[in-house]
Formats: sequence, C-alpha cells, structure tokens
Amino acid sequence: MASSAPQSIHHERPPLYRDVTVVKWVVQVVALLLTIGALWFLAKQAGDNLRASNVPTDYDFLSVNPGIDLSSGIDTDPDTGGRALWVGMVNTLRMAIAGIFVATIIGVLVGLARLSNNWLLRKLGTVFVETLRNVPLLVQILFYGAIFASLDRVSMDVGPINGWLHISNKGLSMPRVHIADGFYQWMIVIGIGLFAANFLRKRRIAQQDLSGEETYPILSAFGLIVVIGILGWFVHPIFGFVGNIFNSLSSVVSAIPEGVLQIVLALLSVALSGYWIRGFLNSRRTPAGLAKLTDDDYFRMIFAGTGGVVGAVFFLFLWPGLSSWMINSGTDLFEVLSNKFGNGRSGRPIDVALPDVVQVGKFPNYGPSGLNFSIGFAAVFFGVVFYTAAFIAEIVRGGILAVPKGQTEAASALGLRRSTALRRVVIPQAARVMLPPLGNQYLNLTKNTSLAIAVGYSDIVQVGQTVYNQTGKTLPVVSIWMFFYLSCSLSISVIVNFFNVRMRIVER
Amino acid sequence: MQDANQLSGDLEFQRGIGQQGSSPHEVPSLPVGQWLRKNLFSNWGNSLLTLLGSFLALLALRGVLNFVFSENREWDAVRTNLRALMTLSYPESQYIRVWVSLGFVAGLAGLSAGLWANWGGVSVKRLSTWLMGSGGLLAVCVIVREPSVILGSDGKVVRTVDGSPQRESFLDAMVDRSSWWIAAAVLLALGTLLWGRFTSPDRRGVEVSVTSVVFVSLGLALLSLWVAPYGHYAFISETKSYVAESGRTVAFSTKLPWTVMLALLCGFFYLGRILRRSDYAGIIKGASNLLWLISPLTLFWVVLRDPALDYGHVMSTDLPMGLAFGFLGGAVLWSLTRPGVGEAGRLVATMLLGFAIFNWVAAFFGWYPMLQKARISFLLLAIAALLAPNFIGEIAKRRQLVLSWLGVTALVHYLATMINTPSTVELQSSEFLGGLGLTLFVALIVVLLSFPLGVLLALGRTSKFPIFRMLSTSYIEVIRGVPLISVLIFFSVMVPLFLPDGMELAELAAVLTGYTLFSAAYLAENVRGGLQSITKGQYEAADAIGLTAAQRTGFIVLPQALTVSIPQLVGQVISTFKETSLLAIIGLFDFLRVANSVIPAQSEFLGVKREGILLVAMIYFFFNFTISKYSQRLERRVGLGER
Amino acid sequence: MSIDDATTVANDRLADREDMIVCVDVDKFYGDFQALKGVTATIKEGEVAVVCGPSGSGKSTWIRCINRLEVHQGGDIVVDGIELTNDLRNIEKIRSEVGMVFQQFNLFPHLTVLDNITLAPIWVRKKPRAEAEAMARSLLDRVGIPEQAEKFPGQLSGGQQQRVAIARSLAMEPRVMLFDEPTSALDPEMIKEVLDVMKELARSGITMMVVTHEMGFAREVADRIMFMEGGEIVEVGTPEHFFTNPTEDRTKLFLSQIL
Repeated sequence: MASSAPQSIHHERPPLYRDVTVVKWVVQVVALLLTIGALWFLAKQAGDNLRASNVPTDYDFLSVNPGIDLSSGIDTDPDTGGRALWVGMVNTLRMAIAGIFVATIIGVLVGLARLSNNWLLRKLGTVFVETLRNVPLLVQILFYGAIFASLDRVSMDVGPINGWLHISNKGLSMPRVHIADGFYQWMIVIGIGLFAANFLRKRRIAQQDLSGEETYPILSAFGLIVVIGILGWFVHPIFGFVGNIFNSLSSVVSAIPEGVLQIVLALLSVALSGYWIRGFLNSRRTPAGLAKLTDDDYFRMIFAGTGGVVGAVFFLFLWPGLSSWMINSGTDLFEVLSNKFGNGRSGRPIDVALPDVVQVGKFPNYGPSGLNFSIGFAAVFFGVVFYTAAFIAEIVRGGILAVPKGQTEAASALGLRRSTALRRVVIPQAARVMLPPLGNQYLNLTKNTSLAIAVGYSDIVQVGQTVYNQTGKTLPVVSIWMFFYLSCSLSISVIVNFFNVRMRIVER
Repeated sequence: MQDANQLSGDLEFQRGIGQQGSSPHEVPSLPVGQWLRKNLFSNWGNSLLTLLGSFLALLALRGVLNFVFSENREWDAVRTNLRALMTLSYPESQYIRVWVSLGFVAGLAGLSAGLWANWGGVSVKRLSTWLMGSGGLLAVCVIVREPSVILGSDGKVVRTVDGSPQRESFLDAMVDRSSWWIAAAVLLALGTLLWGRFTSPDRRGVEVSVTSVVFVSLGLALLSLWVAPYGHYAFISETKSYVAESGRTVAFSTKLPWTVMLALLCGFFYLGRILRRSDYAGIIKGASNLLWLISPLTLFWVVLRDPALDYGHVMSTDLPMGLAFGFLGGAVLWSLTRPGVGEAGRLVATMLLGFAIFNWVAAFFGWYPMLQKARISFLLLAIAALLAPNFIGEIAKRRQLVLSWLGVTALVHYLATMINTPSTVELQSSEFLGGLGLTLFVALIVVLLSFPLGVLLALGRTSKFPIFRMLSTSYIEVIRGVPLISVLIFFSVMVPLFLPDGMELAELAAVLTGYTLFSAAYLAENVRGGLQSITKGQYEAADAIGLTAAQRTGFIVLPQALTVSIPQLVGQVISTFKETSLLAIIGLFDFLRVANSVIPAQSEFLGVKREGILLVAMIYFFFNFTISKYSQRLERRVGLGER
Repeated sequence: MSIDDATTVANDRLADREDMIVCVDVDKFYGDFQALKGVTATIKEGEVAVVCGPSGSGKSTWIRCINRLEVHQGGDIVVDGIELTNDLRNIEKIRSEVGMVFQQFNLFPHLTVLDNITLAPIWVRKKPRAEAEAMARSLLDRVGIPEQAEKFPGQLSGGQQQRVAIARSLAMEPRVMLFDEPTSALDPEMIKEVLDVMKELARSGITMMVVTHEMGFAREVADRIMFMEGGEIVEVGTPEHFFTNPTEDRTKLFLSQIL
C-alpha cells in the first residue's frame, strides 16, 4: 500500500545550470580562472611597459656593485646589491628581535602597573598607554629622531664614560659582544649540551615522580649546560671535521643533474595530489566499505588531480630554471656552512670590543669597533618599543582580567599556596588568552620597523629603496621585500602556534 | 590556609580595580585620609612604590614642561604655519570655502548628536574631583617647571661665565607665575565648593548632562580665543616660498568663524533634540545618515574645488545623459519588477552585467571611447537590475527601487560632472588639498571604500566554497604579512606600470587604491570575528524559511556580525587614521610632512621640527582619544542594554 | 514486517489521502559514521507523525534531511511530489512548502518579533508589507502572544520564543511542518504552552512531523509513532499499538526507560 508508492519514483538529473553542486564548482573555478587571468594580464602589462621603458626585471643587480653607502649595519659599504639587501635584512631583524625583547618587558611591567592596587601606579600606567597608542608611530619616531639630532656634537672626549659609553648626535656607542672565530664549533658543543640536559631533566623528573623527593630538574639541567658550555670553550676546535661533512654535501648537491630534479619535482607534485586523493578517499571510508561519495567529493578530487598535473607541467616545461636555482643555492648553502664550521677556526667563540672615536678628515666620528646605534636606530627603536609596549600592556591586563574569579577561589579552596596558584592556575589561563594577540603585536613590531625609512636607518625597506633608485629594478626589490616580510610573519606565527598548541595541552 | 585567604583577597582586590577602572562612575567615597591610606600607603611596599612613582612622575612632568616652555622652543614656527598645517597652500582669499565645509560638518554633527546621542550625565561630585585634580596638577606644574631665563636689556638671554643661561631664583619664578597660581586656586576653590555642596547623601546623585559639560568647555575655549592674543604672525605664501609676516594674530583671523562653528554645533544639536520627538524622526535620521555619506564627497569635490561649470556642455551632454540614464534605467527597472517577470528578469540583468563589465574591459584596452560616467552608470544599472527580483510585487516597493535609482543617478552624475570640471581655485601645489585636510580626506575615503571590500573578503574567508576561501585567505594573509609602507611604495611607483597605454592614475588615487586594499584585509579580519560569532542555527533558520543565500547574508548574518564587531571596527578606523601619517613618507603633503619637512625648510625656521611634530602628535591624540573613549562608552551602553 | 502492518492500521483515516513525504532507503554519512541506514517511510497529507528514540538515533538528522539542512547521500526523498535532488528549483520549492521549528528556537535576535515573522513572506513570497503584517498579527494571535509583536526575541521567555518561531514558520503557509525537539530547551512550566499550540495546529489538519520525547503529546495527537534507533526505523504504529503492545524488544526497552 503505502510502501508501494515509493517504488514509482523516477529519477531525473536536473539541468546543469540548476544543479547545486555544478553551479557551486563552476562559479568557483570561474572565479579562480578570472583571478589568475587578471594577475597574468597585469604581470604581462607590467612586463611590456618595463620592456618598453628599457627596465629589465631581472635580479642581476644582486651581484653587481650598487655603489651605495649604508648608515649602519654589519657592512656599511656593501660590494653587491645582494649584500646590501642582506645588511638591510640583518638590521631589520636585529631591530625586531631587540624590540620584541624590550617591548615585552616594558609592556608586562606597565600592564601589571595598571592592575596594581596603588592608585598612582595605575594612573601612570594609564597615561603611558593612552598617550602612546593614540599617537601614530611615525610621529613618535620623527619626534625622537628630532630630539636625538639636537644632542651635542661628537668629539674625541665624548661622554658620558669615554672609551666605554658614548652618546652624541651621532648616536650611541658601547662595547660590542660579537661572534668570533670558533663560534660555530662551540654551538655544536652547546647543542650536545642541550640534548644531554634535556635527557637529564627527564630522568630527574622521573626520579621525582618515583620517590616524591624534590630533584630540581630544571636547575640541574641548566647547570649541566653551563658546565658543558665552559668545557666546550676550550675543546671546541676538535669539531672542525664537521666542515668537511658540509663540504662533501655541497659537492653531492652540485652533482645532481637538473633534468633529474625537474622530473623529481614533477613527480612530487603528482604524487602529492595522488596522496591527498587517497587520504580523502580513506577519510570517506566506512567500516562497511567506501561511503557514498557526493558530487562535491568528485569535484574535489578532480580539482586536486588537475592541480597535481598542472604543477607537474609547470615544473617540467614552464619554469625549468627553478631546478638549477635550487641546485645552485643548495650548493652555496653547504659551501658557506662548510666554511663556517671548517678547520682552523680555533679562536674564542665570543669576543668583546670596546668602542672608539676616530678622526678621518675634519670631523671625529665613531669608529667601527664598538656597538654603534645610529640616531636612526635609536629613534626607530624607542618608537617601536614604546608603541608596542603600550599595546602589550593592554593585552597583559586584559589577559589577567579574563581569568574568572572562580578559578582563584577554587585554587585557594584546594589549599594551594599563593605562588603555586599563580603559577599553576592563573598564569597558564591568562597566557592562553594573551598569546595570540601578543604574537600579532610581535608581527606588527616587525612590520613597523619599516618606518625606519623616515629617519634614514638602513632597514630592508630603506636599503631596497636606495637600491631601486640606483638601478631602477623596482619590481624585483618589492618582491624581495614581500618575500622577506612574509617569511618573518610566517616564522612568528609558527612559533606562536607552537606555544598555543602546548598551552592547549596544558589546559586539558 | 592563611596564605590562600590572602591570595584570594588580593585577587579580589585586583578584580575590583579592573571593574572600577572600567566603570564610568568611579568616585572615591572615602574620606581623603582613608582613601590615601587605602590606595597609596596600604603597606610598606606600596608606600615605597608611591614615593618612587611620584618621583618619576614629577621628573617626567618637569622634563615635559621644561621642553615645552624652554627658551629654545620656537613656537612661532607653528603659529605662523598653522594655515599650512591645516590646508597647505589653499588660497587665503578662498578660505571661506573651508569654513563653509567645516560649518556644514559641524551642523551635521550637532544634528546627528541631537537625534541619536544619549550620553547621560556626569555627577557633579565627579566633576568637582576633576576640577580639584586639574587645579592641583596645574599647581604642581607651576612648581616643578624650572625658573625662566633672564632676558637682558638687549632682549637676549643673559649667560653665566660657562655659557649656560642664567635663571631667576626660585622665589622670583613663583612670583612671576602668579597668574597661574590664581588659575590653579580658582579651579581648586571651585572644585572644593562643589564637592562640599554635593557630598550630602541626598544631593550625591545630582548630575549634569555630558553635552552641557562639552558645550561649556568648548565655549570657554572659544572665549579664550576672544580674550587672549594667540600668535603674532599670519601665514602668507608667495609663489612657492613661505614667508612669515608679523602684525596679525591667528586668534584675530579665526575667532569669528569658530564662534559660528560652535553656534552651528549647539544650534543644530538642540534642533535635533526637538526633531527627535517629532513624528518625522525616522525620516530625519535617515536623511542625516545619507548626508553623512554624501557630504564629504560633495564638500571635497564641489565646495572646496569650486568647479567652473561650462553650461553649454552641461546642457548639451551632461544633463541629457543624466536624464536618459535616470528615466530609461528607471523604466527598465520598473519593468523588471513586474510580477511574473520570471526568468526573463534574471536574463536581462545578467546581460546588462555582461555589457557593463565589457565596457570596462574595453576601456582597459582602449577599443572604443565612452564617457567614464556612462560606464559607471551601466555598472550601477546592472547591479540594480540584479537586485530587482527582491522588489517584485506591490507598487510601493517598485516605486521605492525606481526612486532610489533616480536619486543615485542624479548624485553620481552631479558629482562626476563636477569632478571633471576644472577647478577655479588657484593652487601652488598639484593636489588641491594638503595638511590636515588631506589626512582627514584620505582616512575618510579609505574607511568608506575598504568597508565593502573588507566585508566581501570576510564573507569569502568564512564561505563554505573552498576556492573562495583559499583566495580570500591568501589575499588577507599576504597583505597582513607585509608592512603598509611597502604596499604604498608599490602602488605609488608600480601602478603606472600595470596600466595599459593611455590610461593614467593620479598619484593620490594610486595611493588611495593601495591603502584601501591594505585596510580591507585588516577590516576583513575584524568582520570575520563577528561572522564567526553567528551560530549555525541562524543560518539554518534562514534557510528553513526559504531565504536565498544573498538574503540570508544581508538580512540575518551581516547585521548581527557587524554589530558584534563594532569595537574592533572602531579600532580599525583609529589605526587607519593613524597610519595616514605614512603618506608623508611617500611624498604627499599631509600635515606631518608640513611639520617635518616644509617648516624646517623655511628660512626663518631652519631645522625647527620638534614643535610642529608635537602639535601634530597632539592633534592625532585628540582625535583618536576622543573616538576611542566614545566607542568605549557606546560599548558599555550597548552592553548594559543587552542585560 | 511491521512497517506495512502498522501503516495500514494507522491509515484508516488517511487511506485515501495523497502521499506528502516519501522517504526510500535514505542514507546519511558523517565521515565514516552512518547516521541514517536506509530509512524508508511515507507520511500522508494531514498526518501527524511523531518520531521518537534515544539520543543519537538519527531522528534529528532524518528530519533535517527533509528540508535539506543536511544533504542525504543515498536513497530518495520526495515532498509533495517534488523530489529533493541537487536541483536548485526543487530545493527552493520544498523549503517554501516545509516549515521548520528548532530546538533552540533560532529566532533572529536583531529583528522584532513582527519582523521575524514578516521577513520571509515579504522577501520570499513577495507579499505587500501591510498584508504580511496583518497575517503576522493574526498568527501571533493564534499562538497566543498578540501583545509581544514589537518586542525583541531576547525580551521573551523561552516558551514565548518558541511560539514566535512556530508563527514564523506558519507565515510561509507551509503544507508540512517539521518540529525538531521543540520543547527540549524549555523549562518545564513552559512546555505546556508550546504543546498546546502544537495540538491546535495538529487539529487544523496540517501535515506534521515531530521529533519529541513528550509521550503524552504523542499519545494524544499522533496518527502514527515511529521509533528509531541506530539510524533505522525500528517500529511504526498507532499510539495505541505503540504504547500498549509494542512488538520489538528495543521499543519495549526504550519505553520502560522513559515512561
């Protein structure tokens, strides 16, 4: 009766333009093709225009002397464009790392001050935060720059502690702690030490769990590293053989034929899409065999397969230069490493140099031996540090306030001591809230160092601008900027994610 | 156990502070002695912190005061160049246009505030603590500032043997500053008087409205313009050089217009208050919102530019074209909303869209000429036709669509005509606005343009279509990974390269494009936060009652998501405004550039940078602080309303 | 066995009615978990069918497949003669004929009660606003809360919200109403007011499919009760048959647990 009715259903496939799945994927593929087409068109247009105005878009300038002087950095008179940009990158990274370090300290202090039960501290913290975060960073940097520029002129007996610490309109100069000859071999020793220390820490923890006695795992691991480090200070030259390993690696890489690498890359691309499709099919598998695949699933698989094939064609025919580039840079990398780790570098790993003032021509200036911070550096540094610290302070405050009151009550109800409760209950939860925005701020700080261009500090953007003004190669320089900053942001987000995941595990 | 109690007590106290800090009515209700003991000297550590803190604070205050009032400061540089800082080289003879624009905005702001604002009140007691606080602070400032230098009979600073300037004795300095003492005493006395009268329990809750506090303070500031002679120079410019001329004060030339501004603000505020209660409140609110949307463009391109209309051309081309688009387009839309138009409507709309897009492609390749206005109009018509199915049905709805079309057409054609007409204002620089005007304009345009783009990107990133998600995500992440300055440089240098032959883009337009694309990525992330807060049930309910995806997004998802993300959006507006300062680096003359490069290059003020930058910082601070405080207040009120 | 028998028994009153919802061998997978295993059932026009079963038995999934909030992967679903396929037009048609009431109400919190109800009639059915509002008010009257029209959902109690949700679905003049545990999120004292509305609806002759644990409601108004477990329909029958004389052991176990 009633059950006989269902058998009479006759299926009909809807017309393509009304089929949900077809429409959905056609729209998406069309959008993708349009985007690629637009990008391709713009690129072609730019290429034509550049050729018409006789500005080739190659990267030759990286190995040509740009003829520029940099205001500060590891090499103020670089002999190639690539070297100049490298100096800029190092300057940016130096600024970013130092800035992140100092801004975090100041930010945490100010954030805690804003939560203090002392009225005055609270108000001072508020004034700090509100003033700094409501004034544009560039205005602050220019202001600091203008102030530093009005300091006293540099002279041979410049103070405040001549020979150790110099402050003048040329900036700040102080003793430099630098990497010396034996550093890389020493780092191998330290690496071994870290490994051993981790082993020791785990054993100690196991011991503590077993016996219940306090075994100070962190402290003893730390002590072991110090001991091994001191030991390594004297014995590190024996690791000179590592250089030879890198050397032979370098020759192995250079021996790879380009064609082989191309084929490998193409195969890799196809294999990757195949692997994805297999994984996808497996994820749809039920205990009773393959689950029914929807049209959507078929589209996904077709898309992945097409992607793999397109990638293979791309590697094989459209961009054959990639493989030779990979081989060359691989060879270079291992050569540099073999140099750094090579034999005959038996000096101290770390050394100290005192600042000096030299007079070349008419005016005295800081010599190269000390750690010199130009006015530009100081202006950008103070700018980004204070600006970021204001935001970090707000994050810290918000993070601590976000821990529900019940948590501390529960901890005290369990009889935990104040310090234990803070360490085990409040801080882990606050950190979980604080970490993602904190990572964002670190990223912002790194990007904000690019404002150095306004006060002439040689960061990557400023150097890049100088380079393209000299050579006219704007597009390559911009692409290097993008690549550099994207790698920075990727690294920071990877680090933040790593801690984030760990925090989550701690929480569970 | 004792420890544990102490801990919970401590944290409880912390929490109390957090809440106090965020509450608008934080009033110390303890006697002064007890309050001090509780908040500053509760234990040894705390007392030490207080002493250290006050020492540091006094030191910092002294530093700032000495810096600002130092005999080395050349505030004349700022006073003389105020006009350049505000509008760069806008001709003085045409300044009335600036004032008219400003007056329009002031009136509109007053009207909107009157129509919408519900700021509540602030208790007199709190006001009295503010007065006492500022009086005390003023007194401290007078004391800690170092004594002034002594001017000799020749008007130069008297110097001691080692060359440092000789200063008055402390007592002399205090006597010299007697007017400041009086001011501090008046503030303190006023505060104490109010405090004394309004602490009794029955009068504790007495409040004055925030608006009257704001208006009275603005009025006092205006009064000071009338009585105090700010500045001794007026700025004039001759043929590209900046010259200072003594004789007239800035106060003299601006006190009258400022009075008018304040009058407009107050007048329209109270008008808004009255209209709010009238039957037409809804219509007037809508009209004021519409004015906010279109007035910046109109003021910028029509009032400030003063286009010289060529009436022959207007009559022969512009007017007929506008009428044709308005009425023919209206007719098309009217027929497209006929009940029972069915699939044909969609077909026509799609064809129109194809044609409109084809026009732009053709423009790109230069296949056939067409007025830009016509291309824009066709695109708008196509969009309206796509929306038309939503308006099928009763006459009133169809009329609504057609009338909106007529309005939009009229506005677009009017603006386009005006923009394409040459300006009569004679300018020395290429851009006709500079200084603060340029900064505000760029910030406004970027916020307005990046909003729709950012919302689209956010929708793409949260879409269930994987390719859209991939495209939006990679766009957002790439843009967010690189600094704004590199994007701006890229656009100002590279955009000309991407354009085909014969197509040009002004540098300002290129920069605006780049900044908008940049800002949209950040805005998208803020909107995404809001979108993620919408529960799955909302989507399902919208699907279940048969809404289409577009209707679901427009009626259900976006309104809720945008409301949730208001605080983040305000933050985004603030940072967009702050980052407008980067225009100075890429060669546009915003007011930071004027302070940092133009003024120090004038022969009278060679190298004078710090004063100008300080003023710029103060202006930025004023705007941002006001916006963020207002948004916090708004947030709290919305939050309270929900509970 | 039992399905045919039971439907025969149930369909005395409804024997000559049209089929409203027909499901044949409906399968649904979440990854490698099969939520529906060949569900087959027919619901006649004007019938009130109650679906019950332990949680996780697939009853919500089934009801959500019927207006394609979930996409079924195997078998066929036909509503009022329209087959539910990938066809956009069919989906549109079915959604405008099938109303749905959710466990969590899912009212639109930013719209007033009146706007919640009139939204779909105005924008989907293209009704004039005045007409839509008049209908909305009469619906609010019908569910017993005419005075709440201008309020926002957040200002109403749970029971009132659910009644607004019912009115919102009815505003589309659906031929079928689906109820997905409409009383599970309510406080006990509010359940009755919602059930009363549903009883009134059932008497009005609309086709209803109700997932619920309210056995009193099932006994009173259901034409048929379907018991699901593990993604399958285990037993179907009239309330009489179901409560007094269930044939399957699993049904007996379930009844002993909840009654």
